Amino acid sequence: MEVTLFGYTEAQIAQFGLTFGVGAFILYMLFIVLNLALESKAGKFGTFILFLVLSFGMLGFLAKNLIQWFLGI
Amino acid sequence: MPGLFHGFLLTAFGALLLWAAGDKFWLLAGAFSGFLIVAPILATGLYQVSRALESGRCVGMAEVVSLWRSGDRRLVIFGLLLGLAGTGWVLTSAGLITLWSPLPIQKPADFLRQVVLVREVGLFEAWLLLGALLAAPVFASTVVALPMLVDTQASVMSALRESWRAVANHPGPMVVWAVLIVLLVGLGMATALLGLIVIVPLIAHASWHAYCDLTSQLADGAPAAC
Repeated sequence: MEVTLFGYTEAQIAQFGLTFGVGAFILYMLFIVLNLALESKAGKFGTFILFLVLSFGMLGFLAKNLIQWFLGI
Repeated sequence: MPGLFHGFLLTAFGALLLWAAGDKFWLLAGAFSGFLIVAPILATGLYQVSRALESGRCVGMAEVVSLWRSGDRRLVIFGLLLGLAGTGWVLTSAGLITLWSPLPIQKPADFLRQVVLVREVGLFEAWLLLGALLAAPVFASTVVALPMLVDTQASVMSALRESWRAVANHPGPMVVWAVLIVLLVGLGMATALLGLIVIVPLIAHASWHAYCDLTSQLADGAPAAC
């Protein structure tokens, strides 16, 4: 018999943890980049480039997962 | 109507590129990347339409044709500069993939298998980070400059300066706008290019409004039509 916690299986809980964990990690990375931009006095244009590059990286990570999920991999 | 016409033409051109490149990955990647970088110059007709609507005038294809027939040297120079930037972009990203990829990539399926679908974080993410790093100055150079060239008699250099200044003054909203453009274009491409028929005019008209909002806050005063 499969063990559940509050009606969720271990796999489901791990999936929630991964989803929210990665989300929280992305937010934390945004905070780090903001801090980095402020401390390094990158200026407003530097901040724009830092955030744009980071956003594209995150977008890529999400797109990759989305494509893998779509292709059933 | 001019909006949908532009959307249809750009979509048809995209489909033509897709057909012509076939399964030659580098030709396909180069053609699409170049197309995306030069697309803002192809949308100048829609800036003209937005400008006319803003002034309360009736608009039609005549507005667009008049802009294209004007042979504005500034727009030609800007288009050539964008073409140059696009070439540099394609060569750099091709260099990264060629050097990093363990196996040669010749077909779109190779790229999907060896770059996109690799489980580990690596080449795909690095490729996107590099793409963003190279796209940032192109975006900063076009977001205000192109509508400004259509709207005013400013020189290419002063339009570029204003564009970079506007981006530097509003880094947060500009990142959101750049990411939104990429997401919308990605969505358009994911629908077998058909979504681009609506998305192209949407982005072009929204770009005009972004320009109006940004320039109304610049120190030199608002341009004529906004």
